Amino acid sequence: MATAETQELDAIIADRRRLLTLGGAALAGLAVTGAAKAFAQSTVTDSDILNFALNLEYLEAQYYTYAATGASLTAAGGSTTGGTGTAGTVTIKADPKVPFVDPTIASYAMEVATEERKHVAFLQSALGSSAVSMPNIDLLNSFNGLAVAAGIGPSFDPFAGDLNFLLGSFIFEDVGVTAYHGAAALLSSKTYLDAAAGIMAVEAYHAGLIRTVLYGMNAANPALGINGIASKIAAARASLDGTGNDDIGLGTETVSLNSSSSSYTAATVVDADSNSLAFARTTTQVLAIVYAGGSGMGGFFPSGLNGNIR
Amino acid sequence: MEKMNSLIARALSRRKFLVGAGAAGAALTTGALVAGCGGVSPTGSLGPPANPSPSTPSDPDILNFALNLEYLEAEFYLRAATGSGLSDADAGSGAGPVTGGAQVTFPTAALQQYAVEIAQDELNHVRFLRQALGSAAVSRPAIDLTNSFNAVAMAAGIGSSFNPFADSNSFLVGAFVFEDVGVTAYHGAAPLISNKTYLTAAAGILAVEAYHAAEIRSLIYGMSVSTGTATYLNDANAISAVRASLGGGNETPISATSIVAADTTNAIAFDRTTDQVLHIVYAQGAGVVSKGGFFPNGLNGFITTTTA
Repeated sequence: MATAETQELDAIIADRRRLLTLGGAALAGLAVTGAAKAFAQSTVTDSDILNFALNLEYLEAQYYTYAATGASLTAAGGSTTGGTGTAGTVTIKADPKVPFVDPTIASYAMEVATEERKHVAFLQSALGSSAVSMPNIDLLNSFNGLAVAAGIGPSFDPFAGDLNFLLGSFIFEDVGVTAYHGAAALLSSKTYLDAAAGIMAVEAYHAGLIRTVLYGMNAANPALGINGIASKIAAARASLDGTGNDDIGLGTETVSLNSSSSSYTAATVVDADSNSLAFARTTTQVLAIVYAGGSGMGGFFPSGLNGNIR
Repeated sequence: MEKMNSLIARALSRRKFLVGAGAAGAALTTGALVAGCGGVSPTGSLGPPANPSPSTPSDPDILNFALNLEYLEAEFYLRAATGSGLSDADAGSGAGPVTGGAQVTFPTAALQQYAVEIAQDELNHVRFLRQALGSAAVSRPAIDLTNSFNAVAMAAGIGSSFNPFADSNSFLVGAFVFEDVGVTAYHGAAPLISNKTYLTAAAGILAVEAYHAAEIRSLIYGMSVSTGTATYLNDANAISAVRASLGGGNETPISATSIVAADTTNAIAFDRTTDQVLHIVYAQGAGVVSKGGFFPNGLNGFITTTTA
């Protein structure tokens, strides 16, 4: 039943897929090592995509585990060593355990830390000998740089207390959602697609949790200006990825429901587009954010990611 | 982009014809059947599969299944937030009636804003799916927001009746009934979708349902802390147990260390088959069921009846 139309459709989809795939890898490759490498990377494999995700999970797992326990992913029973390469190090302030005041937020931190470690272990297991080791991670200078970029101050310590921890978390979670969302359609294996969709959903749970708690704190104490800070971070992410418009911060918007003339005020807890679909980012766009605009490295990954997509 | 959408719509329309030839095809006119086979097949024959299997639904079948669930969520949240439901234009021609639902009085602006936001999101999902499906979109089936919640409450052992529109706390528990189910439904459906564009869209909706789920779960947990009473938290977890019983397990009760609903080994969100989702929204366990609970006349579309 392959008609001209379906053939054309397949061609368009394949082309779109190729463009999405090429995004980060090809451009970075062109800049660093020339066209040959870019061409080689145009055929991104499922392993490449899962390893890209594994890098992000190493980052999240280290951030939350240090925040919740004061110690590393390894100390919590996880592994930073994949099937290939030597594990990098984590740059972080001394004694990073967050002095939580609110035990509920401390519990949330512990939950997210546990789940991100499980994502690391799952991806390492799924990738087997292909799994990359943890790259060098910076949880100190990265936040300071982002604070400047977002215009929220000369420095930012996400381990200083409850609110800072939540804002630090805010930086990651929506990005995780968009990364998995953008990668989903690139995966060839239905099994990996299913797993990636399930991990994306958990990242969205995390994002929804963090954003709801922040929104509630802002409502309880507007003078803290929490929504404004979160919105600056969201704007910085959108700016870094080059779109300028694929991220929604915390605040309110006026909506008209049911086609009626009445208008209502809605929160913006969910980070989604005008169709209420979560945003998706290409690997290039995600790299631009986690590298804080650096070329091939920088931000949270001072030596770049490990793996083919970097 | 318009060109692509048009091509996809036509391709999906043909898939709909092929897969649904036995059941859904009955609704098509002769002219539509001819149009559906307008392309020349390799053998030159008009050859739909002899025995289209319900176990391999087409993309439109899956999106219509999702659309039914979005109608339900949209009616629930719109009525809670505004007192009225979907407009006729959004419900489709010949839409089924909606029983129950009323505007909730929220004690704080923030709670009202959460409800309005989710209502807007679910309305947008209805509109998005209707537009994506075009003429293949099913209309809203009959929806019951009164007896359904009473039946769920009885099954959960939390009373002989339950009105989620009575107050803000009850609303949160009512919302809890839906959100995690939406996540499992979209997660289960994602690998079944053939078209990459629709897969990405479905993944985007999946993520939004997960944002909602975490929002509702964290608000219920936070409420139990701030009020010092676990009544509503316990109600929600009793409902979680009912969903587990009806829908093949796949549940995580809410606690300080489990806002996320996911498997405990890998922290991957649960998924459910369409059968498992139907058992929950029909509020009936094992067996062949085709209606009940929130959908007194069943879903509209191709996926309406459980196989067991």
